[in-house]
Amino acid sequence: MENVDMFLEPVRAFLTQIGAFLPRLALAVAVLIGGWLVAKVARFAVARSLRAINFPVLTERAGIDGFLQQGGLRSDTTAIFAALVYWLVVLAALVIAFNSVGLTYITDLLGKVVLFVPKVIVALLIVTFGAYFARFVANAVIAYCKNVGIQDAALLGSMAQYAIMAFVVLIALDQVDVGGEIVRESFLVMLAGVVFALALAFGLGGKDWAAERLERWWPRDKDRERDR
Amino acid sequence: MDRDVISPIAGAQSGTAPQEAEDALWYKDAVIYQLHIKAFFDSNDDGFGDFRGLTSKLDYVKDLGVNTVWLLPFYPSPLRDDGYDVSDYHNVHPQYGTRTDFRQFVREAHRRGLRVITELIVNHTSEQHPWFQAARRAPPDSPKRDYYVWSDTDQKYKGTRIIFTDTEPSNWTWDPVAKAYFWHRFFGHQPDLNFDNPKVLRAVFRAMRFWLDMGVDGFRLDAIPYLVEREGTSNENLPETHAVIREIRSLLDAHYKNRLLLAEANQWPEDVREYFGNADECHMAYHFPLMPRMYMAIAQEDAHPVVEIMQQTPDIPDSCQWAIFLRNHDELTLEMVTSRERDYMYKMYAADPRARINLGIRRRLAPLMENDTDRIKLMNSLLLSMPGSPIIYYGDEIGMGDNIFLGDRNGVRTPMQWSPDRNAGFSRADPQRLYLPPIMDPVYGYEAVNVESQQRDASSLLHWMKRMLAVRKTSRAFGRGKLTFLKAGNRKILAYLREYGDEVILCVANVGRSAQPVELQLERFKGRVPVELLGRTAFPPIGELPYLLTLPAHGFYWFRLATDVDVPRWHEEHLAPEDLPVLVLFDGWSSFFRDRVVPWRIRMAEKTGTQLETQVLPRYIEKQRWYAAKGEPIKRARFADHALWQLDNHTWLIALVEVEGAAERATYLMPLALAWEDGEEERLRGLAPVTIAKVRQQANVGVLAEAFADEAFCRAVVAAIGTGKEVATAHGKLRFTPTKAFAELAGPDYARLPASRPLAQSSNTIVMLGERLFWKGYRRLRPGENPELEVGRFLTEAVRFPNCVPVAGAIEYRAADGTPTTIGILQAFVANQGDGWAYTLDYVDRFLEDHRTATEPPPDDIHGGYLALAHTLGQRTGELHRALATRTGDPAFDPEDLTAEDVEEWKRRTREEAQATLALLEERSAALAEPARSEARALLERSAQVLAHIESFAAPSEKMRKIRYHGDYHLGQVLLANNDFLIIDFEGEPARPLEERRRKSSPLRDVAGMLRSFNYARWAALKRAAQTDEELEKLAPLARVWEDAARNAFLAAYEESTRATGLYGSAADARRLVELFELEKALYELRYEINNRPDWVRIPLAGISSIVPQARQ
Repeated sequence: MENVDMFLEPVRAFLTQIGAFLPRLALAVAVLIGGWLVAKVARFAVARSLRAINFPVLTERAGIDGFLQQGGLRSDTTAIFAALVYWLVVLAALVIAFNSVGLTYITDLLGKVVLFVPKVIVALLIVTFGAYFARFVANAVIAYCKNVGIQDAALLGSMAQYAIMAFVVLIALDQVDVGGEIVRESFLVMLAGVVFALALAFGLGGKDWAAERLERWWPRDKDRERDR
Repeated sequence: MDRDVISPIAGAQSGTAPQEAEDALWYKDAVIYQLHIKAFFDSNDDGFGDFRGLTSKLDYVKDLGVNTVWLLPFYPSPLRDDGYDVSDYHNVHPQYGTRTDFRQFVREAHRRGLRVITELIVNHTSEQHPWFQAARRAPPDSPKRDYYVWSDTDQKYKGTRIIFTDTEPSNWTWDPVAKAYFWHRFFGHQPDLNFDNPKVLRAVFRAMRFWLDMGVDGFRLDAIPYLVEREGTSNENLPETHAVIREIRSLLDAHYKNRLLLAEANQWPEDVREYFGNADECHMAYHFPLMPRMYMAIAQEDAHPVVEIMQQTPDIPDSCQWAIFLRNHDELTLEMVTSRERDYMYKMYAADPRARINLGIRRRLAPLMENDTDRIKLMNSLLLSMPGSPIIYYGDEIGMGDNIFLGDRNGVRTPMQWSPDRNAGFSRADPQRLYLPPIMDPVYGYEAVNVESQQRDASSLLHWMKRMLAVRKTSRAFGRGKLTFLKAGNRKILAYLREYGDEVILCVANVGRSAQPVELQLERFKGRVPVELLGRTAFPPIGELPYLLTLPAHGFYWFRLATDVDVPRWHEEHLAPEDLPVLVLFDGWSSFFRDRVVPWRIRMAEKTGTQLETQVLPRYIEKQRWYAAKGEPIKRARFADHALWQLDNHTWLIALVEVEGAAERATYLMPLALAWEDGEEERLRGLAPVTIAKVRQQANVGVLAEAFADEAFCRAVVAAIGTGKEVATAHGKLRFTPTKAFAELAGPDYARLPASRPLAQSSNTIVMLGERLFWKGYRRLRPGENPELEVGRFLTEAVRFPNCVPVAGAIEYRAADGTPTTIGILQAFVANQGDGWAYTLDYVDRFLEDHRTATEPPPDDIHGGYLALAHTLGQRTGELHRALATRTGDPAFDPEDLTAEDVEEWKRRTREEAQATLALLEERSAALAEPARSEARALLERSAQVLAHIESFAAPSEKMRKIRYHGDYHLGQVLLANNDFLIIDFEGEPARPLEERRRKSSPLRDVAGMLRSFNYARWAALKRAAQTDEELEKLAPLARVWEDAARNAFLAAYEESTRATGLYGSAADARRLVELFELEKALYELRYEINNRPDWVRIPLAGISSIVPQARQ
């Protein structure tokens, strides 16, 4: 009998454990299903409201939609935002679900991912508005240059646009903590390169002009002064 | 029903004031014909004209268009001053007939509606008058002596001027019998009566009553300012004289109704004003100073003299009227001009000193104008349009000349020139016996200038005068209107308005001898349409800008500024650009669409979109010709669907605009273009006429306009049709499709064709591309395939009918649910001479005009040329029906057999329509003007007959076919090209739903439509050509003969070309059915006219009455 008891004890314990685990699993599954449903609703709501405020017009104007489509993506930025929100909710649901079944390791892992998604969203927003701003500045520069009659208006415009875009992309990357130091350093290198290139260009190009100015301000030929 | 609107015959306004008050003011609308009895017509061959002669010529006078005759003195007289020296106030000079003859004359004149004015010469008598003979023999201070003014010395009244300076040394003449001087203002044989003697006045009253009782309608008071004399005055216009006139007037008013006193006071206007008193002296007075100034204006080529004198003219009481004239029996008096002006006038008009007499010129109008017809006409036009009742001197209506070699003023008193016969047809007496010889010189002599030849010559001065007088009668503004001069920058232009109530007549005359332009400020009448009165041509409406007119040398225009006439069809309304609203854009086309802008600009886009839809577009659409619900304000013009169509560097917005506000919601096509001032000036200029709004985007200014005027857009459309392009819209798509004939019609270089300016029509807009293609954009859109495209495609592709306009392609809109809507059609451009309606109307109008005054009936074959065209039209109509009856296997077109039920159905429908129409007529007939009202009554009384007539149509005895047919066939739907016709516009009746328009029926409906169109042309031309009721009476039979001939030619040719086609069995069947359709069409027309143009209801009324046979008594 005792043997039986001994024999059965683990089973009982196992069953007890299962008995204690099953409700938690059921809860986890319920949370998952609920989360999935909420995620779908959230995706729909986000897409809808973004479209209602003409967000797609913004992304289209910013050139991001075109960029994505060139990259072979069929959906537009709005859909990406909606998808991000969807995954955010789904991941949150997963975290809760795993937590409820006690898988803390996975919970920690997923928690990191969950925290990462908002950063992506923010980064994407930065890129969107930044790109729009870059285009706006480019247009303003082109219009201004055309009006005052500077040639190469389009060139100056796109230079401005790309410069701003470079900053925007870096800020976005910084936001998602990708690359970190390397990106920052390479940006500094690039900036230094550009400044150096400009200095060289203006230095070489304006050498004679600068010499002339210097000559006028501090004449080298003292003889003339003596003649006076 | 897209037909010209012509102003109604005559001023339709019937007198609202009681008839009696109107009659009392008859002289305000009078046109007076002044004549000498002795000079007019001699009935007894004694060399002097007489009353019987005049009576026999009254028809001529009446026919001329005047309504009053003024007789120069006809009393017994020694005739030393052309009868102004009366020797018996109560009789007729025996040379002119008897009192019975006079009575007979007055009766005959009144029977013709002519009034009679005679002379009352009471300032003086002849020295042979019994009163004078008694006075000179009576002792001084006796009552008989007191009839005249006597003096022992010729030094009294020294301040008085002498009038006949050429013959009289003094106003006093010594009478050896009386042994005293007698006073006379005129000749020495014309002693002045003494109006200080009450007996004289009583004697004058007796004389007046004598003639008034005989029926005389008025007196011209001769030499009226000189009645009374007072020492120390000029003896003119004395208050005592006015007291005498007032007494005369009160006598007249106390005993007689509707009689007239006309003062002859050769004085300045401010002095003449006194003769009207407070409407208690004379009814009328001459405006002497105006006359020489009209001559002066022409001589100096400066309108100023006329303007100046009319501005100096004081206002006169309402019941009074000026009498104005160009010439009269006296010299052209120059007393009322300054001495410098007199010298100028002498130099210009009387270079020959013989032509001068006293202070004037003794010549007639025509010689004064050097027989220049233009100047004669101009002078007459001024006379007839200046304020006052015009007086026409006998003979001036035919341009008679004068003879300055005859003594005194006899040169302008020669016999009336009736014919080239002996004595100018005036008398059959021996030429020596004539009181004066007729004019015989080669230019003005009676062989060249006479009534008979001018009556035969449709372009004669006489006919022109008749016409002018008829035109003048159409408006009371000429007689009664207020005069306002318009500032015409050009001094050679005289422009003035005559306003009477709502009626406004604009008169513009060029006194220069070369063509002149003028710009008139007429803002006050903005929107009115000037209608030239002689030709009834509508001119472009008056807008904001000065109204530009150009006048030929010595030309003139009379315009009625009408509110009831449509603007000319070819006129395009150009909004003045500064009036346009400004739309502020921030994002190009996207600025109008809330879901096409970045998030923070949604509100702005909503605002701009609303502004466009509720203010800018409605304001523009309301003014467009294609806007169907005319006059109904638009609340909102909403974009039902739109496409942004980008090509090269242009983007157009093709919008389907749904209009809210009118009773019926309708969708219109509006392609829009944006053009900017920077670098697109040329495009901007092209768009200017159809600009909807000005736009500004930051510093960039431009316009929003209809893309029809954008050449690039029109070319893009053609190119898109050629390549079969599709453009997505917000909710559907636009499909451009070519037909098989596209390549052939458009040619290889179609993308480079120049586009014409768009032409707005009643329901579509047309652009011509390089005389090759014809793009018609439908404005009012209805779902479904437009029959014009459907039939056009069938005729072009399936049966290749040569006499229609081939279709090259189409633009269709397909809604999300796949419903097609035709929004445009591309056809071949066909050079043509205009549509059949305009051609026919002009033809009939011209024909009637030519025969307006003709005396002989036109020859039988007069319409030969037109009938040949009608024949061609009938033939082409038959060929069209044959083509449409071709069996091709297309169920939409294949002919079907006509069943008895169809005929019953048609009868039922016609019956219902007849009932509805008669009910409508009953309801509205009271509002119609006469004579339309009585004609409507007459038709209503025959209601039962109309219905019975419809009932009596028997079903055709033989088999007939139902096919697709034109549907709205009339003269306006055929184009005349090289003596052949092209049939256009297969749209059907635009008011009916598409489904009904596509239904098959008997092609005889088209035949009926064309026959009704001939009927309309007949009446419309008649309305245009006939100005008076007499003319209407005369011309109506001619028009009728034309219509019958045209109908028969058309029907005969139609039957000939469709005889063996099986479309109908026997010709008799066909004619019966045509009659039913004609009745149905006329009923439709009647409804249309009652609702839209009540002035025109007489045409369908007459049409219905002629179709429904009169009941046998």
